[in-house]
Order: sequence, then C-alpha cells, then structure tokens
Amino acid sequence: MDHALVRSEGVTEMLTAPPSAPSSWARFESLYRSSRDDVYAYVMTLLRDQAAAEDVTALAFERAYRRRRTFDRRRGEERAWLFGIARNAALDELRRRRRVASLVTEPAEAESASDPDSGEVALRRTAVQTALAALPAREREIVALKFHAGLSNAELARVLGISESNAGTLLYRTMEKLRKACNATA
Amino acid sequence: MRLLDHDEPIDPEIAASLDAIDAVLAGEPVDTRYADLAEIALLVASEKPAAPPEFARSLDERVALRFNPAPAPASVSRRRRSSSWFWQAGGALAAAAAVVVAIVVVAGSGHGSSSAASSSASVTSAASSAASAGAGSGAPQTLDASPGHAARSSAAQAETATVPPTAAATTASGSASGSAAPTLQPPTTGRKVVQSAQLNLTAPSNRIDDVAQQVYNVIGAVNGIVENSTVTQAGAGGYAEFQLSIPNASLGQAMSRLSSLNGAQVVSRTDSSQDITDQYGKAQRALADARALRTSLLKQLASATTTEQIDSLKAQIRDAEASISSDQATVNRLNHAVGFSQLSLQINARTVPTPVAHGSGGFGIGKAAHDAGRVLTVAAGVALITLAALTPIALLAALFWWAGSAVRRRRREQALDAA
Repeated sequence: MDHALVRSEGVTEMLTAPPSAPSSWARFESLYRSSRDDVYAYVMTLLRDQAAAEDVTALAFERAYRRRRTFDRRRGEERAWLFGIARNAALDELRRRRRVASLVTEPAEAESASDPDSGEVALRRTAVQTALAALPAREREIVALKFHAGLSNAELARVLGISESNAGTLLYRTMEKLRKACNATA
Repeated sequence: MRLLDHDEPIDPEIAASLDAIDAVLAGEPVDTRYADLAEIALLVASEKPAAPPEFARSLDERVALRFNPAPAPASVSRRRRSSSWFWQAGGALAAAAAVVVAIVVVAGSGHGSSSAASSSASVTSAASSAASAGAGSGAPQTLDASPGHAARSSAAQAETATVPPTAAATTASGSASGSAAPTLQPPTTGRKVVQSAQLNLTAPSNRIDDVAQQVYNVIGAVNGIVENSTVTQAGAGGYAEFQLSIPNASLGQAMSRLSSLNGAQVVSRTDSSQDITDQYGKAQRALADARALRTSLLKQLASATTTEQIDSLKAQIRDAEASISSDQATVNRLNHAVGFSQLSLQINARTVPTPVAHGSGGFGIGKAAHDAGRVLTVAAGVALITLAALTPIALLAALFWWAGSAVRRRRREQALDAA
C-alpha cells in the first residue's frame, strides 16, 4: 500500500520548500505533507476531543520540527518516529486530563445523520461506530494507528514499542472484538 | 488489556487475517473467508476523522513559518520550554562548579607541592623583614639589654637575648654579608659584666674546612683564644664547633666578621650578659681582708717570743696566704671573664641547592617553551580534574534521565489504560 498517495491530501502549496532549503527542512516538510491528516485522525480517535486533538497535533509537529536533526533512520522510518512523538503528546494530554478531571467530549456524530448510504450499510456503519466507541483506549489506539494513520504492522509495532508479531496479534484480537460486536448488534 | 511483552511466532490464521486486512485496505480482492473482516476494516477506515479546514490552514501557516512565532499551543509546550531551560541552567551550573573545583584543587595542589621547596624562602622573607626592622630601629638591641635591665641583673642572673635569624639578607644572597645585626653591648657604667654569645652557622658540606679556617683567621686577628675546637668533614655531612674567648673590645668586630664568613650563613645568634659586680666586689674584699690578715700576722710574728707563738702564727700565715692565693685566683678569673667574652660557634653542613639555569634571564624560546609546557600541563590537569568531577555528575544525570523516562513512560501507559 502506497501511503504517500492516499494520505494528507490538500496540503497548502505554500509549504513547498525553496530549492536552497536545507535537507532536514525538506524532509520535515515532506513528512508533514504526507502525515498531517493521519496524525490528526490518530490523535482525534485516541482523545475523542477536537480541540485537544488540534492542540496535540500541532504540538507533535512542532516537536518533530525541533527534533528533526535527531532523527536516526537506522532506528526506523520517519512516520513511525513522528507517530511516536504524537503518541507521547497524546498520552501526556490524557495524563493532564486525569489530573484536571475534565470532561471528555465524545466525537460528533453529525455525519451519521447525513449518511447517504443504504439502510443496511448505514446499519453496519452505526454498528461499527458503536463498537469503536466501546473499545478501550489502548485498542482504539491500535485501530487508529492501523486504519486512520495508515501505518504498516511494522510501523505500528515501532510506535507501540512491541514486536511486529505482537502488534499483529493485538490488531487481530481487536478486529475480532469489533467483528463480534458488530455481528451482535446486527 | 496488556500488551504482549514477548515475541512469539504469529499464528498462521492470524497472519492470513492480517494479510486480508492489508489487501482490502490496498484495494485488492480478498478471500471470501475474510469478507466479514474486510468489510469491517473498510468501515473502520472510513471512520477516519478529517482535520477541520481552519485547523489545517492554521497549521500549514505555522509550519510555513517554521514555528518561529512559537505561539504556545498548550501548557505542555510551556512546560517543555521551562524544563529545557531548567536542565540547561542546571548543566551549566554543574559544569561551572566542576571547573571551579578543578581550579581550586589544582591551585591547592600546586601550592602544597611547592611549599616545602619554598619554606626557606618564606623564612628568608620573614627574617628579612625582621632584619630590616632591626636595622631601622635598633630593635634587637633593645630586646633584653635596656639600662634598667643592667641594674636589675645585679643578682647575677644570666639573661639571654635571642636574636631571630638575623642574617636575613645574607641568607637571601647565599653568602653572609656585613648586614648582620651588630653585637649587643649592654651598658656597663663601671660595672663588671660578663658577656657571652652563641653563633650557629651553616655552610656547604664541602666547605666546612674552609669556613673553619676563616674562623681561625678571625680569632687570630682579634687576638682571641680558641679554647677548643672540633671540625669534622664527612662527605655530604660535616660539623664544626668552637669554644672561643674574645677580648671584650673586639667582640663586636669578631661577631661581625664571623657573621659574614665567605660561604657561611647565619642561622641563629644568641647574646648573653651577666652582671658580676657584687661577686667581683666580694672577691676583692676577701682578697684585701686576707692580705690585711697576713700583714697583721707577720707583725705579730715579728714580736713573738715563744716557740709556740711563732709556730701558731706561721700556721695562720700559711692559711692566710692560701686564702690570698685563692681570692687572687678568683679575682683574676673574674677579671678574665670580664675582659674576654665567651663565644660558642657551631657550623653545620647544609645541602647545596641545585643551581637553576636561568639562561640569560631574559625572555627566549627556551623560556617560552618551558612556560608553554607549564601552561599546557596546568590546563591538562584542570581538564582532567574537571572530567573527574563531571563524570559522577554525568552518571547521576543519566541515571535520573533514565529513571525519569521510565516513570514518564509508565505514567503515559497508565493514562492510556485509564482513558
């Protein structure tokens, strides 16, 4: 799957790096263009709070920009590195929420109301949404990294700090959980 | 749910399911066995939240500006910056403290190593100041030799005036000079005063004989008497001791010349005086009495008539003459003591310092190279001690960093589990 072709479309053209820009900036700019929407989607799925997701996404890219020269390709791909930064920022936000005991905003469901799908598909979509909402944060994170951020199993393992086989097993279990939940709803 | 923390071979069925998920996400056909899973995968993927256009545009602008305005998007950013500042300041303080400690240690060790070598120099300077003060104000002379002192010492008590290492200037120059303190001269005012002195010199071990010969020459020149002497020349050591009698009138001259012997340095000098006026008077009176008695007895003998009287008077005259002899000897001894001062002189060998080659004394390539080597040595020492001081600090910092990272990671995972 070529992630670069499907990810983060519509990034403003003003970000195009000038010819004389340093290579580290060029790499970061390219990474930003291909990952902006994915990072937001991942953080949004994990936090389920639009304002917090925006703040954390911006913070993650700022951190990545500040640390761009410390990136070591031998330790993994840039996307895994970027999502590791985003994950830490998101978890810090979760910690902050625990301390301040703020309310967690559920994701808006306005899109479901205007769903143009057929009845059966809409029913399945609702079932999936319900099952997703019922998942624990850790499993919701795996789903977000895999289906919203578009990471490969190897990248997913790298972000979570586990082996690839373990990451695959966790993903499989989560999908089985979703499938059973959807079938039960149906 | 716990993450698996060990690697294990993945189940073939699971692997096939994961392959089916990847295939459907890539738009490829999948086996009908995984149709259900593929449908859920597509539905989940379609639930991907989209970034709001306003946020996307705002973030694009910030990235285009390379986050330069750095508007604090969250309190986390502020905490990060303050934490970074804290660590930078802490590191700078630790490094500065280590450098200061290193400099202090190097300076301290340098002073300690040279203190022994420079001890003589410090004594020299102290003695020099004492000598200069003495030369200006005559302080040594007033130590114990005030006019009142002479009167108080009528009880014939010996008093000692210890002069501090007087030959300060001579020690500094390496050879005694005429700058030695002048000999103490207690006021006599017609009284009988016995003077004595003790002089300690040092000389190179190979010049003990030479200095001893100079002592003989000085004593001969002032008509003094060498009552006894011991001169030992033994390799790296050597020792000489003299008991001298010097005419009082020449004591000052003798002491001055003995303090400026070529190759010798004055270590210490002690001047003593003893008032023997009463003792001298008693001896004189006893002598006069004995002479008067003998005269009287001689007259009685001349008028004696009997043998018994003559024999008795002769015996008394013999006793009187014996007393006269004894008293005369006492008076003579006291006269000699008053007329001649007793001087005890010791010469000890000292090690000859290795001469330092100073070249022409000006600034040259050799001196510059020497100084450069010294600077590099000190710099290397400072660097080494700084490294030694920073190493445990760095280890502690690494330990704290590692522990902090572990705690932070654990808390993040706990936050995820609790969400």
